[in-house]
Amino acid sequence: MELRVIEKTDEELRIEIAGEDHTFMNVLKGALLETEGVAAATYDVNPEQSGGQTDPILSVKTEAGVDPLDAVAEGARSIQAMTDSFRDAFTAA
Amino acid sequence: MAHDFDVEFIERGDRKARFLVRGLTPAIANGIRRAMIADVPTLSIDSVRFVENSSVMFDEMIALRLGLVPLTTSLDDFEEGDEVTLALDVEGPATAYSGDMVSSVEYVQPADENIPIIELKEGQHLEFEADAVLDSGKSHAKHQGGVAVGYRHLQKVEVVGDTPEFDDGEPNILRGVIETEDGELIHTDEFGNDLTQQFPGKEVEVSDVPGAFVFHVETDGSFTVEELVLRAVESLGLRAAELEEKVSV
Repeated sequence: MELRVIEKTDEELRIEIAGEDHTFMNVLKGALLETEGVAAATYDVNPEQSGGQTDPILSVKTEAGVDPLDAVAEGARSIQAMTDSFRDAFTAA
Repeated sequence: MAHDFDVEFIERGDRKARFLVRGLTPAIANGIRRAMIADVPTLSIDSVRFVENSSVMFDEMIALRLGLVPLTTSLDDFEEGDEVTLALDVEGPATAYSGDMVSSVEYVQPADENIPIIELKEGQHLEFEADAVLDSGKSHAKHQGGVAVGYRHLQKVEVVGDTPEFDDGEPNILRGVIETEDGELIHTDEFGNDLTQQFPGKEVEVSDVPGAFVFHVETDGSFTVEELVLRAVESLGLRAAELEEKVSV
């Protein structure tokens, strides 16, 4: 996972997450949309065969006073909490 | 964001299972499904050194067949890129089976012993050493641990009344797992996928249960279903941890 910031302002972030695909990006997007302070979150990824930008680009827009990088970190934390509680529920069953 | 999951097994085997998870979002369900297919690594033969091959097939064709033989993989003991050597020496007339391969590591064995590799006639001889490598399904389908992985919504079936007296009696086909009004989980296979068999003379209404997904998972024998699911979920968690660490600096 290589990160490259393409554009960053106080409330907007565009970042390339190299080496990832829909598997993780869609989970991350889903988590970000449920994170407090996030106004919009999406990602764009092109198919392997397109020959252009094939690594996904995450776009996050936050509400005033929330740093988008912090929001991404918060989203990543909530994914870890989710996977932990899934593991517990699955092993208990 | 708190997650409250509830997992219930409908069918449970080492290589094949069906289980219900409540409290999932479609994004998480699909993330887990995709991770099971492409991100959980398995051992598979990747390069072969032929000592002798006087069978009717080219080396490359036999190597391809060998790659498709699932090998039992204990993921605690290997990292991606690690190799295990297997050897085979069979002289005709005989059929060389996956079970004839001798592994250098005791707990890495062909998951099935009865996969034919090639039939050898009188005087034909196959002898090779092969290196199996641990890699993920992303790089080649032979490394896929999950071979039939999917999910469906849980469907709730409610009895809303009796069928009219002169009803045509047409079947009402449904596939998947249903939840009855008593909260019982029944796979539709049990009643021939026909709701009129399970609820004779009744009119029923079917609706998807939100957030409830019935996973159907089959593995190629490399490891158990349980291992596959937990590793897939773990891989999502590890990536989230890596991302968190990288954006924090």
